[in-house]
Amino acid sequence: MARYAMVMDTRRCVGCHSCTVACRVHNELPLDMIYNPVVTVGPTGVFPNVRMTNLPLICMHCDNSPCVDACPTGASQQRPDGIVFVEEKKCISCKACVMACPYGARVPNHEKGTIQKCNFCMDRVDEGKLPHCVKTCHQKARIFGDMDDPTSEVYKLVNNGYPVRLLGELNTEPYVFYIVDSEVKL
Amino acid sequence: MSQKHDVWGWMLAVDFFFAGMGGGMLVIVGLLDLFVGEGRTSLLGNVLGPVFIGIGSSLLILELGRPFQALRVFVNPKAILTAGAWFMSFAITFGLVYATFGLDMFFWSSWVFARKVLAALCFITGLVVATYPGILLGRHKGRPFWHGPGIMILFLLSSLVTGFAAHSLAGFVFPPSTLTDVLGMFPKFTAGLLAFQLLLWFGYIWVKKSGGTTSESIATQRWINGDLSSSFQYGFLLFGTLAPLVLSLSSSPSLQAVGAALVLLGGALMRMLVVRGGEDRTWFPGEQKYRSRLPKGNEAFLKAWNK
Amino acid sequence: MSKNIDLQQEGIQVKKSACYFCHQNCGVLAYVKDGKVLDIEGDPDFPTNQGGLCCRGNIAMDHLDHPARVNFPLKRVGERGAGQWQEISWDQALTEIAEKLANIRDEFGAEAVATAGGTQRTDDWARRRFMNLFGSPNGFHNSHLCWIPTFMVETAIYGWCPFDLDLGSSRCLVLWGQNPGVSGMPEIHHIMELKEKGLKLIVIDPRYSETAAKADMWLPIRPGSDLALALAWLHVIIYEGLFDPEFTDEWCVGFGELAEHVADFSPEWAAPLTWLTEEQIRESAIMYASNKPGNIQWGTSIDQIGKPAGAAMHARALLRAITGNLDVPGSDLLTGPSLEYVTDEEMEANDQLPEEQKAKQIGSDKFKMVTWPGYSRIAELTKEVWGKAPTAEWMCEAHPPSVFRAILTEKPYPVKALLVSATNPINSYGETKLTLAALKAVEFMVTCEYWLTPTAMLSDYVLPIAGALERPTITSSYGCADFLLASQRAIQPMYERRNDYNFWRDLGVKLGQKEMWPWETVEDAYFAKIEPLGYGVESYDEFVENHRFHFPEREYQKYKRIGFATPSRKVELYSSTLEALGYPPLPPYIGPAENETDDPEIAAEYPFVLTTGGGHMPYHHSEHFQIKTLRFLSHEPYMSMNPAAAAKLSIEEGDWVWIETKRGRIKQKANLTQAIDPRVIFTPRGWWYPERDMRDPELGGCLESNTNILTSCDDDDCDPMSGSWANRGLLCKVYKVTAENEKEAK
Repeated sequence: MARYAMVMDTRRCVGCHSCTVACRVHNELPLDMIYNPVVTVGPTGVFPNVRMTNLPLICMHCDNSPCVDACPTGASQQRPDGIVFVEEKKCISCKACVMACPYGARVPNHEKGTIQKCNFCMDRVDEGKLPHCVKTCHQKARIFGDMDDPTSEVYKLVNNGYPVRLLGELNTEPYVFYIVDSEVKL
Repeated sequence: MSQKHDVWGWMLAVDFFFAGMGGGMLVIVGLLDLFVGEGRTSLLGNVLGPVFIGIGSSLLILELGRPFQALRVFVNPKAILTAGAWFMSFAITFGLVYATFGLDMFFWSSWVFARKVLAALCFITGLVVATYPGILLGRHKGRPFWHGPGIMILFLLSSLVTGFAAHSLAGFVFPPSTLTDVLGMFPKFTAGLLAFQLLLWFGYIWVKKSGGTTSESIATQRWINGDLSSSFQYGFLLFGTLAPLVLSLSSSPSLQAVGAALVLLGGALMRMLVVRGGEDRTWFPGEQKYRSRLPKGNEAFLKAWNK
Repeated sequence: MSKNIDLQQEGIQVKKSACYFCHQNCGVLAYVKDGKVLDIEGDPDFPTNQGGLCCRGNIAMDHLDHPARVNFPLKRVGERGAGQWQEISWDQALTEIAEKLANIRDEFGAEAVATAGGTQRTDDWARRRFMNLFGSPNGFHNSHLCWIPTFMVETAIYGWCPFDLDLGSSRCLVLWGQNPGVSGMPEIHHIMELKEKGLKLIVIDPRYSETAAKADMWLPIRPGSDLALALAWLHVIIYEGLFDPEFTDEWCVGFGELAEHVADFSPEWAAPLTWLTEEQIRESAIMYASNKPGNIQWGTSIDQIGKPAGAAMHARALLRAITGNLDVPGSDLLTGPSLEYVTDEEMEANDQLPEEQKAKQIGSDKFKMVTWPGYSRIAELTKEVWGKAPTAEWMCEAHPPSVFRAILTEKPYPVKALLVSATNPINSYGETKLTLAALKAVEFMVTCEYWLTPTAMLSDYVLPIAGALERPTITSSYGCADFLLASQRAIQPMYERRNDYNFWRDLGVKLGQKEMWPWETVEDAYFAKIEPLGYGVESYDEFVENHRFHFPEREYQKYKRIGFATPSRKVELYSSTLEALGYPPLPPYIGPAENETDDPEIAAEYPFVLTTGGGHMPYHHSEHFQIKTLRFLSHEPYMSMNPAAAAKLSIEEGDWVWIETKRGRIKQKANLTQAIDPRVIFTPRGWWYPERDMRDPELGGCLESNTNILTSCDDDDCDPMSGSWANRGLLCKVYKVTAENEKEAK
C-alpha cells in the first residue's frame, strides 16, 4: 500500500506561482478558488539585512484529518493511500470542513455549491503521473511520492533531513513536509 | 482580514443563537418540572423552546450550499455536526410533545410519569443543544479564538441566560397556568448568570490575549481594539450584559422585560461576534498579505471582468 | 482543460511545440486531434525547462482561442482610436497597405516608412529583409533596453558577446541586475542546482528580489550607479593583484592604461556613489575574481540606465577580460556566430540596402554603436575573424525616440508610416507621452497583433497574428550563438491568423520583391536555415520530430586559433573601435541619468531614486493582462517602497500613491517592504487595463499606471554610445492619491 506525500523544498522555491496557475487551469477551477497559494514570508528584518522565503501551501493530506472528522455527510473521505478528497455529490457545503481545516485548504465552489480541495490530482496519480503542480514546477521545489517506498525521493528527504510539518503541534499529522533553512521561522 | 462568504456567516450565528436559547429553555423547563413541578413556565415559553431550535436548524439549512440535500447531515456518526443535527431533532420533538401536556385538550396531558420522562429528555437534549455549538467551535484547532474548552462554557452560559430571559418574556405575554412564583424569580437568575457572563468574558479575553500561542493573541486583538472591539465592548458587554443585569435587579416588571429583551439582543450579538472571530485561522506568515491582494471584494474590478 | 480529456484516445498526435509567452521558448508537447489542440504540457525532454512551465506557459489554451484575440484583418472605418473596424481579407489589406507604402516612398522616400518591433521571441529577420528590400533604414526595436547595446560594446572590446555561460563548471556567478527568479525559470532552476553543488552567487540589484533571496552576496546598489561599482571592482582586482597576469599580458592591449585609468576609482570613492560599503565592494570583487572560473550573466538592467549605460557595459566587459574569464571552461564563452547553420544575419539581405539609405538611419549621427556606423565597423571585423556578422536586426536599429520625434517634427525628415509588430509602444517604449503623441500623429499605422492593444486601437489596419502553438519556433540567439533548438507548430493558425513572416513576405510580394522571397512558408525558410546542419532531413518538421536540437561540440579558447575579432586581434581594454567611433576608449565615470550631485535642483523636488521596469510574474512586459486566470492573481499594480519612507509620507500598505518624475506621474498601490532602500522607489512595468474602455482617449487606462510615463528619452539622458534611454536611476517623488489631487490636470 502506498502513502502519498509531498515535500516542499522552500530553499528552491522562488515564488513564481506557476503551481497555482497550473492547478487552476488543469483542474478547471473558478477564478475565486485557489488550492495551492504560494505565500511569501518576508522580507523579514530591516533593510538591508533581510530574509525571504516562499511557502507553497496546499492540502496537507493529514493522517489525522480534522476535515474528514468534521464532515457530517461523509463527503470528505480519505483513501487508504492517504489522499483526502471530497465526493462532490455528497457534499452540501456546510463548510464544517472549511472551518475545521487549519491550513485553509478547503475552498467553497460557489458555482457548484460544494466544497472542493486539492486531491493530489488523484486521477493522474492513479495513472502513474505526477500532480499538475509538481509537473509544472521548474524549480523541482515540489517533490511527490510514496512514503511507504524507502527508495522514493520523498522518503529519503523526509527521513534523512529535518523537514518541518506546518502547525505540527495540532497533531494533524500532515503528509506535506517542508524543507526550510534553519534560520527561517515559520 | 477576513475571507467573506468562504467561512461561516451570520446565518450560522443566528442559528447558534436560536438553537442555544431554545436548548436553554428546554433545560429550564425540564429542571423545573422534575424538581419543582409542572406549569411553572408559560406554555408559550414551552412551545417557543423547540420552535426556536427549529428556527435555528432552518437557518442552518439555508446557509448550506445545497439546502435541498440537507438530510445528508445525519450520515457521519463521527462528525459533531451530525450529532448536533440528531440532538436538535430530538430536542424539537421532545420539546413539542412536552408542551402538549400543558393543553387539557390532549387526553395524555394528565399522564404524569410520561410527562416526567419527557421533562428529563427535554433537559438532556436541551442541555446538549445549548452546549453543542460551544463544543463544535472549541474543537477547531485551526481557529485560535475558538479553540479550547472555554468557549463551551460561554455558550452554555449564554444559552441559559437567554433561555431564562425568553421564558420571562413569554411569561409577560402569556402567564403560566399554575403559579408565577418561580417565573418571578427568573430576572434574579438572569442577573446572576449575567454577572457570571461578564466575569467569564473578561477572563476569556484575558487568557486568550496572554494565552498559549501568538495566533490566539493576534485573534484576540480584534476584540480589544480591532474591528470587533466596539460591538463587543459597548454592544455585548455594556448593553447586552451589564445593562440588563441592572435592569433585571429592578422590581419593575417593564424594566425587567426591557432587560430580558436586551439579554436576547446581547446573546445574538455574541454569536455574531464569535462566528466572526473565527474567520481568523492561524495565518501563515505572509498569507494575509497574499489573500488581501486577490480581487475578492474588489467589486469594481470583478464587475468589469464579469460583464 | 485537461481534466476531462482522454489523452490516450485514438488519433491523437503529439507535436513538439514551444511556449511563446516570453523569451525562454520552453519546450511544450501539444496533444492534437483533427487539427485541434486538446491539451499541452511541458516537454520533459526539452533541455531548458525539463517539463516545467511557468504561469505564462500554463495559459496556452486560454490564449489560443481567447475571445479578445484579433482573428481577422481589421480596417479602420471610424476616426482613429474610435474602435470601429471592418473585417477584410488579407489580400485586400495587403494590397491597400502596399499601395499606401508605395505612395509614401514615391513622395517622401523609403526612409519615411519605419517599423517598431518588440518581443519577437525568436527571430525578426523577415522584417529586416522587407525593410532592406523596401529601402528604409528605419526599423527599430526596444532592443536598446535589452542586451543589444551590451552586445555591441562587448563585441567592440573582445570581438563577440558572451551569450552562453559555461555554468556547469563555474565557481562564481554574478547576476548583475538580473532576476531570473521571475524572468527566466529554466535559468534559475539551473542556477539553484549548481548552487547546491557550491556555486557562489552574487546578485547586484537595488531590490531584494526573488533571486537576491537565494544569493550568497546581495549588493543593494543605488539604481543607475552600476558604472561606479564596475570601476571600483576593476580597481580592487587590479590593485589587489587578483587579475590574470598571463591572460592580460598575452591577450590584452591597454592593461597599463586601464590600471592608470582606474587608480582613483577605489571602493572608498565608489561607496557613496553606490550606497554600498567599501567592504561590500571589496569583498564582492574578491569573490568574483578569486573564485575562478566565474561568470557574469548577461542581463538587461545596465542597458536601461541611460547616460552611463555604455561606459558601464564597457567596464563590466573589462572585468571578464582582466580576470581571464573569457572562453575558458566554466567561464563566459565567446561562441561566435554559428558556422553550421544559416544565421539570421544571412537571411536579412543587408547588402540590398543602398549605402545612401544606410546613411539616413535616424539617430545614427548621434548614437553610433547600434546603428550603421558602429555596426558596419564591427560586422566587418567579425566577418574577418569569425566569418560571419551578428544579426543586423536588433544590433543595428534606428533610434526609437528620435524616430518618434521625427514623426512629430519632420526633422531630419518626415516619417509618414509606422509598421508595428509584436509591440505596444505606448507601454513598452520610453517616455510614453512622446511615444503616444507620435503614434497619434503618424499618418499611417499598421499593427500586427494578437489583441487590440492601445497601440492597435490607434492603427489604420490591425492584422491577426499566429500565436503560440500556431507557429514554428527556432531558438538560436539569432545565430549569435552556436546552438539551435527547434520547435514545430501544433496546428495551422486558427481563423485568419497568419505568421508575421507571411505578413512581411506577402507585403514584399505586393511591392515587387517576389524573387527575393523564395520561401513560401516559414517552415520553408526555417528548413533553408537548418539544412546545412547535415542531418539529412527532408523538411523542417522532420528535423523537429527526429532531432529538435543542435548542440555542437564545444571548442574553448578559440582565440588561440583565430584571435579576438578586434583590429589588434586581442582583447582591447583600451578600445580602438570605440575610439574610432568618437567614444572614450576607456570607460569614464558618468553619474546616473538624474542624480543629486549633477542635478541638485531636480533632487530638491524629487527626493527618491526611481528604478523601473523589473519583470514580475505572471506577466511579460505589457503582455497577458487580459488573461483572466493570470490577472486574477495580480490584478493591481504595486510599487515598492520602504516602510520607513512611507511612514514619513503617511502612506500605508495598499494605499494608492502617485509616483511622479519631471515627465509625469502614475498611480500605483503601495507595497511596503524591507526589500528596498528607504531612498529608492520601484515601479513594475507594463501595466494597462484591457477590461476598460479601449477607445481613445481612455485607451485601456494605458496612461494611469504605466511606468514609462516616468522614464526619460531625452537625448541628454540617453547613453551616448547606443542611445538607450533611462528607465533606472531617475529621480521621483511619491505622494498619496487623494480625491483632490486626482482631479488635477495630469
